[in-house]
Amino acid sequence: MKSILKYILKNGLRDRLYLGLLTFIALAFAVSIFLGSTMMVEQNQSSIAYALGTSRTILSLGMILFVCINVARAFDNKEIEFILSKPISREQFILGYLLGFFIANLLILLPIISAVLLVFKVDKIGALYWFLTTLSENLIVISFALLGSLILKNSFSAILASFGFYAVSRLMGMFVMTIDFTDELTSAKHGELGIALKILSVIFPRLDLFSQSSWPIYGVKDNMVLWVIFFQSTIYLPLMIFMAFHDFKKKQF
Amino acid sequence: MKNFKLFFYIYSHKIFFWLFVVVFVAQIFFWKATEKYRLVDEIVPPAPSNHLIKASSFGDNEFLFRTLALRLQNSGDIFAGFVSLDKYDYSRVYDWMSTLDKLNADSRLIPSLASYYYAQTQNKGDLKYVLQYLDEHSSRDIDKNWWWLFQATFIAKKDLNDLDKSLYFAQKLAQNNAKEAPIWTRQMPAFIGEKKGDSCMAFKVIKNLIDESESGKRQISVEEMNFMRHFINERLSKLKKQNFNPAECYSIKS
Repeated sequence: MKSILKYILKNGLRDRLYLGLLTFIALAFAVSIFLGSTMMVEQNQSSIAYALGTSRTILSLGMILFVCINVARAFDNKEIEFILSKPISREQFILGYLLGFFIANLLILLPIISAVLLVFKVDKIGALYWFLTTLSENLIVISFALLGSLILKNSFSAILASFGFYAVSRLMGMFVMTIDFTDELTSAKHGELGIALKILSVIFPRLDLFSQSSWPIYGVKDNMVLWVIFFQSTIYLPLMIFMAFHDFKKKQF
Repeated sequence: MKNFKLFFYIYSHKIFFWLFVVVFVAQIFFWKATEKYRLVDEIVPPAPSNHLIKASSFGDNEFLFRTLALRLQNSGDIFAGFVSLDKYDYSRVYDWMSTLDKLNADSRLIPSLASYYYAQTQNKGDLKYVLQYLDEHSSRDIDKNWWWLFQATFIAKKDLNDLDKSLYFAQKLAQNNAKEAPIWTRQMPAFIGEKKGDSCMAFKVIKNLIDESESGKRQISVEEMNFMRHFINERLSKLKKQNFNPAECYSIKS
């Protein structure tokens, strides 16, 4: 498992993941500081919101691309068959891959939060919560991307599915709001749209609650949301890992 | 069929050349027909709906708030200078400010834009939208937003020259219990009342403050007390000329 982990981290270097994403994020920081400085008041707060919002999106989308392309390449090059020919279980293989992606993600996220703490005046506790929830959001997204890549094999389909999953999960707050909205507008209890949205809200995680840019600015006002995020992560991560175990166990090579 | 294939084989390059010319001419006609077709670029577009805001925030309201606030701040930037404020549709500016307040009501950004920037309009009739926004924003929490009520009082008095409206905001401002708010926020109705010529109002406000100080309900510094004495003494001669009787103030229902 240790060698798989090393292999994934080296893949990050080979694919210029760290360099590419950190360059993009540094550029996003520079643009954010510039845009924030053009504000009439609250320049610092505006720069923080721009920098955190953009770096979260860049990191999530970058990790999806990295995971999907890596796994698809491993299928194409028969690397998976080669690794599985060694004395390693399929569960260990998935956990090794996941751990590698998680550490690669952490290696990019750590400089981001360090830069935020160094460059901006932030609420330290709020920034810590932003870091932790962004980490768990990325873990969920990475797990889904890995699961999608294992099921779909094709990198393009896996990327599209993962982008879709990320977008819908971040829109879940609006969907949940719309369920009540449709009830208010129609006399029929729970119209079809409401039911469809309810089913979606059962399946997809509430990523819209994660990594709020307002926390490093104003601090966390509602501690309840942190508990919701904690439980959502502890439920959803194993859910996808077990699903990946199940699917990969059944796979014939 | 065979002849056609042979013909196509020999002359295909010429056929494609003429096809290219025909399509190119069609493109020129298309350009001519659509030359006047322009996208409507409004100075202040209609404010986005709540649903659109919720969808486009992707859960991060603060990021969207700052992005849209930048858009509102730079409305009228036509990449060759700024449009004069009297050309703005202030009813839309009001909609934008109210919508952005739903995303973040704690920020000073939007009330600052309203008070320091949008209040500079040359069209004084548009100030009602700025004042309406400041009123709604401040009324959520007067203790926290007393500064914006003061701005509304000032805009209504100085820019709109509407003392009734100014007094309305001054009375709201005087209701604040914020620790950091200076004493003049409570004296404001007296100043505006006095400007209106309502000596009773000014007398009542100042007397209330002095009574509160003497009963120990409110701590008023010596400097503030001296100022209030100065305020009264300065106006005594004027009041004497008007035969002002403080007792009459209590017989009139305010």
